[in-house]
Amino acid sequence: MCLLACPPLHAQAPAFKERVQFAMDAYAHPKTAVPLGYLNIAAKLKLHEDAALCSRRLEELLAAGPTGDMFWMFPITAVAYLDQGQLSDSARQSLRRSFKTYMPYRGDTENHWLLYYTSLYLMAQLWPDQDGDQWYTGKSSAENMREAAGWIESWVKLTTTRGQGEYDSPHYMGLFFLSMSYLAEWAKDPAMKQRATMMLDYLIADYAAENLDGIFVGAHSRVYDRPAVEKWFNVSSDFGWVLFGLGRPMEPPGSYLICYLLASGYEPPEILKRIATDRERPYTHYELKRTRNRWRFFDELHGPVYKTTYVRREYAVGSDQGGTLQPIQEHSWDVTWSVPDPRGVHNTLFTVHPSSSLRELQTYFTFPPDQGLTDVVSSKKSYDSPDKLVGGSPYEQIFQDQDSVIVLYDIPAETRFPHINGFFSKDLADVREDPSGWIFARGGEAYIACRPLQPYTWRPIEGGGRRLFSPYLKNGMVVQVAARSEYEDMDAFRRAILALTLEVKLTPTPSVRFRSLRGKMLAFTYGEIPRVNGAALDYAHWPLFGGPFVEAAVDSEQLILKFGTMRRTLDFRRLTVSDAR
Amino acid sequence: MRGLLLLAMLTLPVWGQYTLYTCMMTSKDYVVGAKLPPSGIFLKSATGEWRHAGYNHPFVNALDYDPSDPGTLYVAAGNGLIRARERGERWKILTGSEVTELLDVSVDRHDPGTIYFSHTVGIRVSRDRGATWQDAGAGLHRKYTPAIRVDSRKSGFLVAGNEEGVFRSEDGGKSWRPAGAAGFQVLHIEQSPHDACYWMAATQGGGLFVSTDCGVTFESGGNLGVGRNISDIAFDPTSANRIAVAGWGVGVAISEDLGKTWQLRNGGLPAPAVWSVAFDPARAGRVYAGVHEEALYVSQDVGKTWTRDGLEGSRVFRMKFVPERP
Repeated sequence: MCLLACPPLHAQAPAFKERVQFAMDAYAHPKTAVPLGYLNIAAKLKLHEDAALCSRRLEELLAAGPTGDMFWMFPITAVAYLDQGQLSDSARQSLRRSFKTYMPYRGDTENHWLLYYTSLYLMAQLWPDQDGDQWYTGKSSAENMREAAGWIESWVKLTTTRGQGEYDSPHYMGLFFLSMSYLAEWAKDPAMKQRATMMLDYLIADYAAENLDGIFVGAHSRVYDRPAVEKWFNVSSDFGWVLFGLGRPMEPPGSYLICYLLASGYEPPEILKRIATDRERPYTHYELKRTRNRWRFFDELHGPVYKTTYVRREYAVGSDQGGTLQPIQEHSWDVTWSVPDPRGVHNTLFTVHPSSSLRELQTYFTFPPDQGLTDVVSSKKSYDSPDKLVGGSPYEQIFQDQDSVIVLYDIPAETRFPHINGFFSKDLADVREDPSGWIFARGGEAYIACRPLQPYTWRPIEGGGRRLFSPYLKNGMVVQVAARSEYEDMDAFRRAILALTLEVKLTPTPSVRFRSLRGKMLAFTYGEIPRVNGAALDYAHWPLFGGPFVEAAVDSEQLILKFGTMRRTLDFRRLTVSDAR
Repeated sequence: MRGLLLLAMLTLPVWGQYTLYTCMMTSKDYVVGAKLPPSGIFLKSATGEWRHAGYNHPFVNALDYDPSDPGTLYVAAGNGLIRARERGERWKILTGSEVTELLDVSVDRHDPGTIYFSHTVGIRVSRDRGATWQDAGAGLHRKYTPAIRVDSRKSGFLVAGNEEGVFRSEDGGKSWRPAGAAGFQVLHIEQSPHDACYWMAATQGGGLFVSTDCGVTFESGGNLGVGRNISDIAFDPTSANRIAVAGWGVGVAISEDLGKTWQLRNGGLPAPAVWSVAFDPARAGRVYAGVHEEALYVSQDVGKTWTRDGLEGSRVFRMKFVPERP
């Protein structure tokens, strides 16, 4: 019954197999004349093409010396597994030797470690019964495999009990996907294979429920500057297109997608396709995640991240609770609206406090004091910029209910950048600064109302759009979004907003009471637990996943996918998958 | 030819019974994702040239050696605690996924099979030369621990520095009690080779802290480095009262009276941004300083004058003179 009622998947997109082939072709048959890289070689081996060329080029690459640590490990692992007798003995020996002569750094983030241990596990499996002299670790194949398996299993357990630490990154998601794809395809141990296949469902579900036309919406642990505003410009677009036929892939598709396809190329089950594509009814989706490892200044290694994401066909609104949950690249809240072709479009709106501090860096990194900031800025150019639009702040707190957001700031005077930035896109239409203090605008088919709590000025943004600049320490923004179809026109939306109760108090701490368009009284005071119709948010019982499509309790090691009458239950304790209808 | 011989003699700063090892990274002009320039352990050969020992590794913070077999090093590295045999050449990672980004290492001089290292979430100890490891930091409130030293007087006596100050254990790390520098992040700790009851700790922002009661309590050592960060401490094995410290803004400071007074010795250094400092135990007055992304510098006159001595573009995090024989 449900299937009949559900909308068809994107009619324009080619079939899954064709999408896979398109992406594979981009790497096996590159259009540019540059020498083949590891992934070009892997793609050719996958298609059983040009073995002699692949062998020759592989030897050249290895002779030049591996580089990139775990980012070298995963392409070379794909080459090793796709060889299947195609490479010359000499090339194969060079490949084998590289795991003796080159020591990849294990890195310092969750994706680094997963790549490192996935690759080490598979290479130790490929070359079993070898002693420590044959490995850069100095450990035998069995020792390497045991260590790698142990960490991978612990990562799965932590993720399925307390959530990911490097969660919902529209860029780094690809590395988690590809690691599980490798293990699902190439691990010989049935338990490891099953665990990885189930984790593919798990990770894909995590993304599917928070995507809009393939764009990863909601709060992110990590996002880069350009993709924070040009939401399409992310790895998530590659996966949204290949897995679900949504949106458009990068041009050409990125390397993470290719690795995923070179291994299992796992096609998600029907229930995940439905979850990813059905936006008939608005819904609110909840998730619990973890902060990155906090080495210093906290008693607990991880803190909770409470995510709320409201999704409907026309737009999505997503947030976490604010604070410095991740270093440098946190993205804590935004409104994202649907557009027919998102390439080059800045289809989002949000505010940030541009926080930059040694304390933040020392919380999450092992940097010595004097060089940390310079080291970060060498690769993350905007980190110490007052104009930046990416990053969390210890002085930002966020409360979301459905498509209403209240963001409050209480910034100490001595803070490095004592102002807030608001991103107002070049692609907003009908922007109107109302005498009431509200700013009205339209993004695609979404009406957006923003109420800055303090005076502001506009500053241009390179690449288009305007930055709302408000140099007031006690500050904030109230945002209410609605679908264009819900109102006759913008004036009607405006009248509806102006009719809502809004009480603002800025001292001694910012505080807002707001009657949302959805009829709820939202009350939020900086430093206090937000209230909906008088009831405090129940952070203590926040689900690992909650909403109409995905459900999981904290510590459960289970995930239930739901769509209509369809159910899929992933049980990581028993390593079972049960489907019901 | 005579000129070359003379040059060779001049570049023989280390001979005889010690080898100078450095823990370093060549970071100047390096960007993330690019090929890592030679980094890891460099040792100064008998001819005075630098030799890269073992693997290229970007994260090598500190090293110590097995006193019964000084050709065996223990290295606090990003990938774990590494045993580097054959003068640093043959590596084996002795730890697994339970630790990351090691910060310091110290071998018990009385029991060479006992190795302590500090890392991002505490301290671990092995009593069987790294075959197995146990937690030795459970008693610490905050775990991030940049510095660990085994007291040279007695096995099981430890001094460690973490983000809350200096702590002391007398039971091999089972329990810890505060010893000073409360509220300051400790960056480094050293014990005098002349007077085992004299210790010094360097901090982030708080300057130096000194213990004259065998590491039981640490008191402020004056104003040097207050408001700045001191990254290294070196006691001169050839002179009982001479100490050097290195830091940012401080550069190299020398004391000839056990830290009562200090003189900045930065004339000839390109910048007062110094990661590490070490005295040559075989040559009185010779001191080395690792200047941030410039080079290693050497002075033959206790820092009054300096000359460049290789490791161009490096950050030398730590230096260690290791005896040739047990």
